[in-house]
Amino acid sequence: MLVVTLIAVTIFVGRLVDLQVVRGGTLAAEGLDQRLRTVELLAPRGSITDINGVPLAVSMDSVNVTVDQTLVTDPAVTAAALAPELGISVTELQASLTGDRRFAYVAKDITPDSWRRIDALSLPGIYPEKTTTRSYPVGGVVGNVVGFVGSEGKGIEGLEYSLDDVLAGVNGTSTFERGAAGPAIPNGAGSTTDAVAGANVRLTIDGDIQYVAQRVIADAVAASGAESGTVVVLNPRTGQILALATVPTVDSNEPGDSLAEDRGNRAISSAYEPGSTAKIMTMAALLNEGVVTPTDRFEIPPTLTIQGKEFHDNEEHGTLNLSLTEILAQSSNIGTILAAQKLPSQETLYNYQRKFGIGESTNSGLPGESAGLLPAPKDWSGTTFPTLAFGQGLALTPLQSAVTFATIANGGVRVQPSIVADYTQADGTVVLPTAPQRTEVVSSQTAATLTQMLKEVVSERGTAPLAAIPGYQVAGKTGTAQFVDPTCGCYNGVMSAFDGFAPADNPALVIGVSIVRPKYSIYGIAPSVFRQVMAYALQVLQIPPTSTPSTSTTAGR
Amino acid sequence: MTEGYRTTFKRRQMSLSSSQRNPYWRRLDWVLIGASLSASLLGCVLVWSAGRSDLAEDPLYFLKRHVIYLVVGLALALLVSRIDHRLMRAYTPVVYGASLLGLLLVFSPLGYTIGGARGWFKLPMGITLQPAEFAKVAIILMLAMMLSEKRDAESAPRDRDVLFALLVAAVPLGLVLLQNDTGTVLIMGTIIVAMVAVSGARTRWVAGMLAAAVTLGVLAVPLGLLKDYQIQRLTAFVDPTAEASAGSYAVNQAAIAIGGGGVSGQGLFSGTQTQGGFVPVNESDFIFSVAGEELGFIGAVLILVLMAVILWRGIRIALKAQDLFGRLVATGVVAWLAFQMFENIGMNLGIMPVTGVPLPFVSFGGTSMIATWLGIGLLLNVRIHSDN
Repeated sequence: MLVVTLIAVTIFVGRLVDLQVVRGGTLAAEGLDQRLRTVELLAPRGSITDINGVPLAVSMDSVNVTVDQTLVTDPAVTAAALAPELGISVTELQASLTGDRRFAYVAKDITPDSWRRIDALSLPGIYPEKTTTRSYPVGGVVGNVVGFVGSEGKGIEGLEYSLDDVLAGVNGTSTFERGAAGPAIPNGAGSTTDAVAGANVRLTIDGDIQYVAQRVIADAVAASGAESGTVVVLNPRTGQILALATVPTVDSNEPGDSLAEDRGNRAISSAYEPGSTAKIMTMAALLNEGVVTPTDRFEIPPTLTIQGKEFHDNEEHGTLNLSLTEILAQSSNIGTILAAQKLPSQETLYNYQRKFGIGESTNSGLPGESAGLLPAPKDWSGTTFPTLAFGQGLALTPLQSAVTFATIANGGVRVQPSIVADYTQADGTVVLPTAPQRTEVVSSQTAATLTQMLKEVVSERGTAPLAAIPGYQVAGKTGTAQFVDPTCGCYNGVMSAFDGFAPADNPALVIGVSIVRPKYSIYGIAPSVFRQVMAYALQVLQIPPTSTPSTSTTAGR
Repeated sequence: MTEGYRTTFKRRQMSLSSSQRNPYWRRLDWVLIGASLSASLLGCVLVWSAGRSDLAEDPLYFLKRHVIYLVVGLALALLVSRIDHRLMRAYTPVVYGASLLGLLLVFSPLGYTIGGARGWFKLPMGITLQPAEFAKVAIILMLAMMLSEKRDAESAPRDRDVLFALLVAAVPLGLVLLQNDTGTVLIMGTIIVAMVAVSGARTRWVAGMLAAAVTLGVLAVPLGLLKDYQIQRLTAFVDPTAEASAGSYAVNQAAIAIGGGGVSGQGLFSGTQTQGGFVPVNESDFIFSVAGEELGFIGAVLILVLMAVILWRGIRIALKAQDLFGRLVATGVVAWLAFQMFENIGMNLGIMPVTGVPLPFVSFGGTSMIATWLGIGLLLNVRIHSDN
């Protein structure tokens, strides 16, 4: 028996040598491979706030409830326990708990509090998966600017999309040795790369002005039976966008409730033929070239025929004698064409329009900006120059249009518009965006002269007395462009626009209003929206009233 | 071998008197006690390490119980070592009857099932008893008594005695079989065969039993005598890489754990497979894998050496036994421990099929620990009542 024992011991020792010495390394590696788990550490997504720090988009911890169906002992009991907390019917839950899948989602994005209550039930097979939910406290007010994230938490529209790299941060990883039941093994090997939180982004948007702009344009679009409308509020000195309201709008919390075409930002993505608001570029060119003064008078015939095309004014008239200021105030197309013909060459107008930024993106940092449309001189026909002079044959986004007025308001210098005030990185460092590009378009003298002319527009003698604000000098210009329906080649509806700034003597704010296809109050609606938003913004920003009221404002309503 | 025993026996019969001169403690086999105690203490450490991660709320749960069982076992062993043979013979039927009662009790509502075997019943305070462990002791005593009864008159047990003894042993064996405790059935079978062989009974008995065992083994599968889980365990042994069955998983994990230990081990409490809970029941059946992983080749060999020393001392005691009863008892205990050690370590090393038998002294398990030390107590008893 001793011999047998010794033989057995020898066999065992041999086997031990085989396992521990010969194959030791392989088996150890096999074990390590089975224990090592890498878990992604989610980087918290940065918040988006308005210029005053009011949250517009925030991420909150939440929990996805998952199930290992093979471990659920009694789906009926588990479902009954979960149903009240999750607000899902027992039958539906029971179905998702039954089967042999090792991993499935039961419910997504529940609050950590809610999970704690579920966890306390100690239900077999039910596990949490940490995640975050993006929440938009004022989702419906700035939805078209802020945009929204998709189900994976990645930005898919608006600033959430264009600033995704900044907001997302960098996910970390944790590699650790995990026991058979799941928890990490004490003393096990492992390494962790911490997640870097995304930067918090402070926008130039002023939540109060945005809210009022959104409400006013929504009311106006509804009252006028229009298709859509936008309001752009700019600081002409800095180029900062203080509000960008769009109707129809999207609620970032419920993007699915809006049509796909309403989820973007019309103020930057849709280019419209501007009509008369574009006349300021023609006037700026004339004044800056020194070929016409505001008081130079022109004889305006009832119609004007160029290259076989007959041009009209908005209202029929006999032959008129108007100064350049009056041409702008009354928005005479024929007068604008006749004045524009004084330019040294037709290309001069094109060059000025280019300098105003037409035909290129403003690079505001908002995603999906349209460059607008400006035909190059080589593509011109005989009637292109006159139509461009009074605002047809080119296309501007509402933001581009507002920028042309901001250029005049800023003494002739165009400032690249911006939407981000600053970024606060995870370590607390505040990073400013690159300084906006500044382009001198016309002289400050030209800008001042043009401003005086634009004040006349808002007078009783002009087209937009409705834009006047008591106590403030207002400069601006109406635009009413007809939409050409490509299906019939006929006109179908108009775009009512008003761009302007205040106070005219020391401009603080530029506001551009565009309303697409209003059915009622076609001419009054845009100046009226301008007045309401401007009046509120001036008050909120505590812009002092103009000390010596101009004649135009006293004449206003 | 039987011849050897016989001559030794006769030689020992000549000089009986010296036992009176030597005090009790001088007559104890201190090598056996030392090896058994060393194995048990090593077991404590390993159980501590393996049990630590199993119950987060009380990491010392297994250790505390293990130590209590060890103390109880040790005390019983010393007690048993002093019992007079006549007294022991007299109480053997009582022990046998009690163990049968215990085996029947597990079929009552008190009993419950672990690992497919209905072999336990619960006592108050969370104490569980596995009567099959005590039944091993009962079978050893009963067979020793029956096979040595006629010793004074004849040189060997008569066939009638052997048959009767086998029938008596078959009752607990059958009950354990009904409990689906394959491991214990095999151990009991080994005990019976070894004791009959040593008893001087005719060789045909041993040959017959071995032939019956082989036949039963071959026919077990086609006759459906084995339960699914038993077949699973056996096939897992044949093809350890088969993923599906529980047995092969344990064997693979044990191999990874032992292999990962290398020569010097990963260190106590630092075995990654052990602490990660990958090896099932590693505080009990797979305790050897803990030694392999945390203490390495050195620790594993140490266990083998301790086990070999225990068996050597047991065999020595059997050889030097003063009478046939003592020799049979010692033989039964040695056969029991030897088979259990071989089966358990072999299963840990993946060269024996997985059956739920603990490693004597080392594995966690109250009844097993106490019964094993009862066995040591019997060996010590035989030694004390032998002359040397």
